[in-house]
Amino acid sequence: MSNIDISTTQLEAFPEGEIGESASLKEICLFLSEYSAWLLGSGATSIRLEKNVRRMAEAMGCHAEMTILPRHIHMTVFLSDHSDSYTYIIATHPMPISFDINTKLSRLSWSMADDKLPLKDVQKQFDKIIKTAPTNKYLVLFLASCANAAFCRLFTGDWAAVGVVFISTLIGFYIKQLLTQLKVDVRLVFIICAFISSILASTATLFSFGHTPDIAVGTSVLYLVPGIPFLNSFSDMLNGHYICAFGRFVHAVVLTCCLSLGLCGGMLLMHLSMF
Amino acid sequence: MLLQVLQDALFAAIAAIGFASISNPPKKAYLFCAIIAAVGHSARYLLMNSSLFDIHIVAASTIAAFIVGTLAVLLSPYGKMPAETCLFPSLLPMIPGIYAYKAFGSLMLCLTHGGETEFNHYFFLFANNGLTCLFILLGMVVGGTLPIFFFKNISFQATR
Repeated sequence: MSNIDISTTQLEAFPEGEIGESASLKEICLFLSEYSAWLLGSGATSIRLEKNVRRMAEAMGCHAEMTILPRHIHMTVFLSDHSDSYTYIIATHPMPISFDINTKLSRLSWSMADDKLPLKDVQKQFDKIIKTAPTNKYLVLFLASCANAAFCRLFTGDWAAVGVVFISTLIGFYIKQLLTQLKVDVRLVFIICAFISSILASTATLFSFGHTPDIAVGTSVLYLVPGIPFLNSFSDMLNGHYICAFGRFVHAVVLTCCLSLGLCGGMLLMHLSMF
Repeated sequence: MLLQVLQDALFAAIAAIGFASISNPPKKAYLFCAIIAAVGHSARYLLMNSSLFDIHIVAASTIAAFIVGTLAVLLSPYGKMPAETCLFPSLLPMIPGIYAYKAFGSLMLCLTHGGETEFNHYFFLFANNGLTCLFILLGMVVGGTLPIFFFKNISFQATR
């Protein structure tokens, strides 16, 4: 019978692998797919994903090639002589951007390549990494509010405007956290938060706090601008990953649209004009 | 002028820490981001506002992003972080958010103002803000990632 079970081909016969315990192509491919889904979900650029995955595959004595789509990764792991391969498609992991996880996963790829760790150990470390807790919610709330207030100052707002922006960001961001926890659609969250923050900030105009109330309104929603998706998108574009770049760009543009919708709504309600 | 530049650096550092915190960076990254963003943003301020340079925001952002990128690549090995972990949060204070939402705001005003002159006015504002926003972003990413390729050995081995 010429039926070869490709999923269990052991890599022991391939000395370039030099791994303590052998792992099958299937195991390697499933692990690398899961790894990529998390790395891309955490907000890594396509070029880093490719480099990390190739590094890990080579450490295990095989090669990996992949297609990176906006929401999926198509991964093929194969032997250098192409005698065997395994392919898997995985959806990217939906999660908030986390440079902490991104950093730890990148470190993991190097420790696998340099220390020649067996796949089982790497899998254990990976399972630990993906459980990394996000930054404390209240700390983020406070820091983001400070950041937006500092932003208002950068745009030459006076201290009254800075105070108003701090409070409107604090409340807007708190609502964002609440709604995100309730799993409300992210686009709706952006509209609601921009609406609330801009209305709160326009109290500066209403009660004529300070001399720069217009700057307060203009900067009150900036904490929502999707900076990292924009940067990732342009970075992917420069590296020739046009589909992924386009996907990320559209995502960022849609969020900016929602932000502007909320802001325009707030301004209309408070009889303010953007220009 | 010096006072203004220092003030710009201070507030850019606060902004970088705060906006970075939204994208869950490793704890070590906060300090790096604050320093890098302070240098980058104040460099942009200087390039745009001093009588010596007085250059356009797109060019100024590109140059400032190049400075940010170089610092991020050189500093990231000390924190064992990928360069992007330092680079992207440090670029956040320079993201042209106001241009971005003004572009959409004026697009909506285009729709509600049917008259030719008014429409043209708002369409001009849409194109003006939108193009400025796009080119600032492009310039920032080109400027910021060029050092990653110049120092390829450092930047992709920082987490080794």
